Amino acid sequence: MKMKKVLKWIGIILGCIVVAGFLAFLYFIPPFTSIPPETFIQQTASAGPSLDDIRDPRVKILAERGKYLVTIGDCSGCHTPHGEEGPNLSKYLAGGIKLASSAEGAVVSRNLTPDSETGLGRRTDKEVKNMLRSGIRNDGSIVSHRAMPWGTFSNLTEEDRHAVVTYLRHLKPVRHKIPESIQKTTLEDPNAAEAFYGYDYAIHQEK
Amino acid sequence: MKKGMLRIVVLVLGFLIATVFWQGSNNTVLSTPAAEENLAPVLSLGKILYEERCMQCHGRDGRGNGPAAPLLSPKPRDFSSGKFKFRSTESGSIPTDQDLIRSINEGIHGTSMTGWSDFVAGDSLTSVVEYVKMFSPRFARETPMPVRVGSPVPSSSSSIATGRKVYQTLQCGVCHGEDGTGKGAIATDFMDEWEQPVGSTDLTQPWNFRGGATARDIFLRLRTGMDGTPMPSYTGSATDIKLWHLANYILSIGRKPVWEMDEHELREHYASIDVDAKKDPAKWGRYLVRVFGCAECHSPIRADGTLIDEYLLAGGQRFDPYPFGVYVTYNLTSDAETGLGKWSDDEIRNALTKGIRKDGSRMLPFPMAWPAYGNMKEGDVKAIIAYLRTVPPVYNKIPGPESLNLFSYLWGKFRMLILKDELPAYIYPGNSGTSRADVVTATGTSKYPSVEEEKQ
Repeated sequence: MKMKKVLKWIGIILGCIVVAGFLAFLYFIPPFTSIPPETFIQQTASAGPSLDDIRDPRVKILAERGKYLVTIGDCSGCHTPHGEEGPNLSKYLAGGIKLASSAEGAVVSRNLTPDSETGLGRRTDKEVKNMLRSGIRNDGSIVSHRAMPWGTFSNLTEEDRHAVVTYLRHLKPVRHKIPESIQKTTLEDPNAAEAFYGYDYAIHQEK
Repeated sequence: MKKGMLRIVVLVLGFLIATVFWQGSNNTVLSTPAAEENLAPVLSLGKILYEERCMQCHGRDGRGNGPAAPLLSPKPRDFSSGKFKFRSTESGSIPTDQDLIRSINEGIHGTSMTGWSDFVAGDSLTSVVEYVKMFSPRFARETPMPVRVGSPVPSSSSSIATGRKVYQTLQCGVCHGEDGTGKGAIATDFMDEWEQPVGSTDLTQPWNFRGGATARDIFLRLRTGMDGTPMPSYTGSATDIKLWHLANYILSIGRKPVWEMDEHELREHYASIDVDAKKDPAKWGRYLVRVFGCAECHSPIRADGTLIDEYLLAGGQRFDPYPFGVYVTYNLTSDAETGLGKWSDDEIRNALTKGIRKDGSRMLPFPMAWPAYGNMKEGDVKAIIAYLRTVPPVYNKIPGPESLNLFSYLWGKFRMLILKDELPAYIYPGNSGTSRADVVTATGTSKYPSVEEEKQ
């Protein structure tokens, strides 16, 4: 009898601990504000490929400049899909984030890696520069400047733009097919103008 | 008889279809001169192309006020005044069709205007030109007055030497610097007729010459002037022959672009950029702030995504990364009460590169991209701080971050971590800061519309 009571209490306490632990897990994970800032900064710095293998020193210097601009310009913020604890670096700059706007429909960030089937391997330097400079897609249409902020990137000098494209050519190719953009979209929150979905939409859509 | 009937039926049907289509496209169009009257076929094609491809920068009514315009430097052309910089016509004259075609085909180098030759040609090109001309009544009233270009003077060492003397006589160095780079120029702060700041072109970077970099292009800029800017026509001060010599001289001082440099030149070039940044940090900081688009988030947006010029960098864009709470972007202008005016350099540096607010609290690693900015070179951080100090103050009081209540937060985290729902971060239109009803800005007094007004 006594034994049973003790067991019951142990059960209750264990149950409480499990529930409290679960709630604490929900509350604290991912622990964004207790990880030191340097960890995030380091993670961003090491996300890109090493450029040491580039043989032509001219290309290497240009790519290094491009890497600096791409890193601090945070291309990765929209072009690297997120896992639960931030960017999924195995898909660095491989695209897949959905950006929806009530005015312009939804677009999915493109694969910037040099993959020849799903990435920028299919695009000429000029085509990439057209996008960076004026938001011009290959068919001559223009992407919303809010989805792809070409309005700000257009302020890059031609020389810096060239360095950025040079660097993009040396990313690790990732085969990652990006679904076409969706023309019409209704946001769940009718008061919002835009919505940013961090998950990899390429995977989400297949489900 | 039957044939006549058929013709009438076809005509009536055609008219009905045209009316339906016309009204369909009219719904979304603001009142423009073009929308108020029936358009000739060439103009309706031009209108379709213009609104698909030009409107984002140049605006529906051609005033250079499209949704992307506030971010661009230099600003897109306002077509309504009929004033164009890159012409082959006399100072003050409207441009020829060929001038407009050239600008569309080749683009305006060193600006956001890419050349469109891969995408428009033939009839579609003509139709866009005709449509652009409709924005200014001058094209209907006036005829262009082309200048006589004459035969070019071939470049030679003696022509270049003469050109160098002309450069001095005409005092080009006052604006462009003695060496053409703009360094050491006396006159640097200019406004153009659209009240936009303009800098003098660096004459050693010919790939950035807006209107092209052939001797003929340069001759035309000198001969016709660039209307609306402080660059006058020099036709009264120098003969055409002298201007050709000057064009040859300007071409001779061009440096190599990075894609033509060798290893040594590249290293020197990038080292010199860092040196220049140290000498004039605010100028370099302006470049970085523009390129990284701080204003893209640190300004309120309208429901259609347009940023508001007067509130550029004054914060107020609300961002809800569910379930992490409500964040409103901070006022980055130099306003003492609501902006960065009273922040120390270190406080700005901590916020920008470490995500630590003035009160010591931490930001999430998004949407503010401090994990990226933390990788900036010290010189670049200093430059950005120096530039932000120069941004004219705009009063816009920004509320601190707000958390969701505990239950909503835990439920949101449950959806995120366990259900793996696709949770969006929402961005809201309108200014979520508190602005003064009337804010005095560089361009006069403007009242920012409230969130309610913006929603509709």
